Amino acid sequence: MAGNFEPKILGIFCNWCSYAGADMAGTSRMQYPPNVRIIRVLCSGRVDPQFVLKALELGADGVLVAGCHHGDCHYVKGNYRAERRIALLKRMLQQLSIEPERLMLKWISASEGAELVQTVEEFVNILKELGPSPLRKTG
Amino acid sequence: MPVKVMFVQLASCWGCHQSLLDLHETLADVLPQLEIVFWHTVVDHKLHDVEKLPDKSVNVGFTEGFCRTEEDLHLLKLARQKCKLLVSYGTCSTYGSIPSLLNLYPIEEALSRKFKEAESVVDGRIPDKHVPKMLEYVKPNREYVNYDLFLPGCPPEPPLIAEVVTSLLKGEMPKLKERTLCDECPRVKSEVIVIKKIKRDFEGIPEPEKCLLEQGYICMGPATREGCGAVCPSAGFPCKGCMGPGPNVMDQGAKMLSALASIVDYESISPEELVNAVKDVVGTFSRFTLPSSIIPKAVFKKK
Ligand code: SF4
Ligand code: SF4
Ligand code: SF4
Ligand code: FES
Repeated sequence: MAGNFEPKILGIFCNWCSYAGADMAGTSRMQYPPNVRIIRVLCSGRVDPQFVLKALELGADGVLVAGCHHGDCHYVKGNYRAERRIALLKRMLQQLSIEPERLMLKWISASEGAELVQTVEEFVNILKELGPSPLRKTG
Repeated sequence: MPVKVMFVQLASCWGCHQSLLDLHETLADVLPQLEIVFWHTVVDHKLHDVEKLPDKSVNVGFTEGFCRTEEDLHLLKLARQKCKLLVSYGTCSTYGSIPSLLNLYPIEEALSRKFKEAESVVDGRIPDKHVPKMLEYVKPNREYVNYDLFLPGCPPEPPLIAEVVTSLLKGEMPKLKERTLCDECPRVKSEVIVIKKIKRDFEGIPEPEKCLLEQGYICMGPATREGCGAVCPSAGFPCKGCMGPGPNVMDQGAKMLSALASIVDYESISPEELVNAVKDVVGTFSRFTLPSSIIPKAVFKKK
């Protein structure tokens, strides 16, 4: 099982930066692992912790939230909010005996297609190391 | 004709039933209208008395507590079978409440802690004779049976109980208020809140009129449903969330976590400092609703 385990990742990306970054990676034909399914939101500050928990409950092996660098958020402080929510969520996951590493937050700008590819690769490796989510209903 | 009622106690602290007695004089009006067919903590009824009742022969049943043992579950199902109308009475019954924070631990570990490792125990052993089997973790009662009405509160406040009981006696379905606790809280709130320091409940003396959350106390008002009359913030104490989630909230804990993260001053409180200030995230934000949360229990590793 562990050998060919392919983690399922939900990406929740900010429209103005990381989503555009993913677009750029795509249009520049950069290769990145197909493990991530991306949902676009208008700002990382719009990521409701309930979405993250729901994704994990439904069996996602990891959730990657990506937004604009500090100072670049279109709504000024959205990314500061996201950062604090994710920190609290990680503690919540830890208390629920779910590895907090299954939740990742990154700042990726619209021009950072390469960073995006690298982040996804890095996250896939972390998740392969951790194995399937304990909340997965089936293998 | 008196209304037939039954009061069922599952795993609970009896606080909800206690709150019923806090109706005081109102009880004097209500009691003569009731025929109590089962209330095993107060009247000498046995389980087989309930089993013998014809189905749907009881007008209203109230359940306090959640199912921790197979016997609780049996009683809950019986109550559903025998009652025309079933009321989930209190937060244990409705969302799980504080005792179900035990969902953070496997039941074997909890039993061992209580019966063998507790400091007061000498030569302890886990009881296994003449006791019902424990269930692995707490699920909300509504996952086992259907309810006609939910009356949350840990315990429900007497005026709320009076409202419900009075309507039921008139043969009407009570309509409970469902806005957010902050909507019924008399404290003065500003448009924009920015917290520079998170205070523990015991730190300092809160200003008498200003919103407690604005003063840095973790008040669960924004994630909690109204109905208790905002008794705690009115008395100067932050709401702990016992009425359960407010309108359109799936997960009370996640909602409050989100709300708090968006009102702290980013220059004064870093993400790490925020986590350290809260410490027990589940116990603070999901104190009353863990079994009803999106992730209702910890993952128990198989040995
Ligand atoms: S809801 Fe609260 S008062 Fe009622 S039984 Fe449970 S713990 Fe006790
Ligand atoms: S946060 Fe608490 S004190 Fe402030 S308005 Fe809401 S319930 Fe009242
Ligand atoms: S103020 Fe909060 S904790 Fe107090 S009774 Fe109301 S809901 Fe429960
Ligand atoms: S707009 Fe990109 S994080 Fe706020």
